[in-house]
Amino acid sequence: MAEVIVVTSGKGGVGKTTTSASLAVGLSNRGYKTVVIDFDIGLRNLDLIMGCERRVVYDFINVIRGEANLNQALIRDKHAKELYILPASQTRDKDALTQEGVQKVLDELQKTFDYIVCDSPAGIEHGAQMAMYFADHAVVVTNPEVSSVRDSDRMLGLLSSKTKRAEERREPVKEHLLITRYSPKRVTRGDMMSLEDVNEILAIPLLGVIPESQAVLRASNAGDPVILDEESDAGQAYADAIERFLGEDKPFRFVSEKVHWIKRLFSIKEKEHA
Amino acid sequence: MIADRQACFQLKASFFPCTILQISHYDLNQLEQQLFATIQRAPNFFLGSPVIIDLEKIKDLTTVDFSQLKKVLINSSLVPMGIRNGSEKQHIAAVSAGLPVVTIGKNSKETTQPTTEPEKQVAQPSTPGSKLVTTPIRSGMQIYAKDADLIVLAPVSVGAELLADGHIHVYGPLRGRALAGVRGNKDARIFCQKLDAELVSIAGYYLVKEELQNDADGGMMQIYLENEEVKLTKCGR
Repeated sequence: MAEVIVVTSGKGGVGKTTTSASLAVGLSNRGYKTVVIDFDIGLRNLDLIMGCERRVVYDFINVIRGEANLNQALIRDKHAKELYILPASQTRDKDALTQEGVQKVLDELQKTFDYIVCDSPAGIEHGAQMAMYFADHAVVVTNPEVSSVRDSDRMLGLLSSKTKRAEERREPVKEHLLITRYSPKRVTRGDMMSLEDVNEILAIPLLGVIPESQAVLRASNAGDPVILDEESDAGQAYADAIERFLGEDKPFRFVSEKVHWIKRLFSIKEKEHA
Repeated sequence: MIADRQACFQLKASFFPCTILQISHYDLNQLEQQLFATIQRAPNFFLGSPVIIDLEKIKDLTTVDFSQLKKVLINSSLVPMGIRNGSEKQHIAAVSAGLPVVTIGKNSKETTQPTTEPEKQVAQPSTPGSKLVTTPIRSGMQIYAKDADLIVLAPVSVGAELLADGHIHVYGPLRGRALAGVRGNKDARIFCQKLDAELVSIAGYYLVKEELQNDADGGMMQIYLENEEVKLTKCGR
């Protein structure tokens, strides 16, 4: 039985698709057969981030409506071995997603995959609720700023009431917090919420902290998920998050300001004088 | 002089209980008889009780005589407040008979906006007279302890709302809204470990965040009503 992971946030532009792509690549590179589904019907993005936009023939909605079978619609990823992408439709809207349709597709995927990653659209409407409904895990992507944190809080409320697990009163959806675009420098300056501030409000286990990084935009434009950029801080932070997701204990990196060695030298001197 | 001018009114938040009378079969004579029989069983409960007439099930009926219907209800010592869920034509007829169209109550079509989630299933009645919630109450959630106290053992987020007919206890930071004694119990109180609320209210008298900030000192606080004024003190004083 595959585990269903929804990547969600409420607010748009915080890094859901970037996270879905890196999560999916990371899991498949660790040997798990993974499929990533774009639930953002009408605003197809995942295929761009994954660099497979020119290979999209059939999409998720085609499969739901029986116009194509799953194998025709699944695109094999070029980066990872056991990774497939189910792209969103660009010509339909989110109402084309029906609960029965989504269930049917997920049931079929459950048979052959280990992980199903659902890339949720922004907002709390139908599309987002369909993406989360069957989830076992939820990765809540949050930027360290008040509106994103509040939307994530709202999302956590929905996760505990509007999912299949909640409705059937089973064990609740496992929540994971992923903070993206974190800049320790701006936190020190006082113009960004700190990790502790965010954690105090949301109070769910922290899966990862992805630093604000040039590498993310570069990766998106190239169509190579940023986790593959092993040199970059963001790529390494995503790799750490995958390890934590799989139950390993990893210390958090990139969460405090890098101090230049000259500065550090001076601060040691100052301490000696004091 | 402005200072001499007395305020003519005061707006108060309230959650007024109201019975919904859903008519499933339109026959005024039978209705009157059945109402009489029902009211006989619990006269004190129904005497002068406000009702809203729900037309959902007789929506297609064009022959409803609203002024007669109103009379029947008044004769049965009920207070008809208005109608809901009718057809457009019924609405027009009702308004001209002096029954406004209201859009309150759970089943009303106009108000089924997805603004609040249903109460979390984890909220379960523990001992009679109190309701215990152990998981965080997130933005957009609403928890109501009917005829009971509400005890929360988790944070209450900004944008969440706690309602109780009795007291409210929050063992965690209270950042959302808390309304105790919503059905008019002026002795209801709110206790919380860390007061950072958007609004606190006792029996409809309320304070908003701006008014709270100066008095909350970060410790365990209680909020209560004294001479129709909401007061805040540190617990244990």
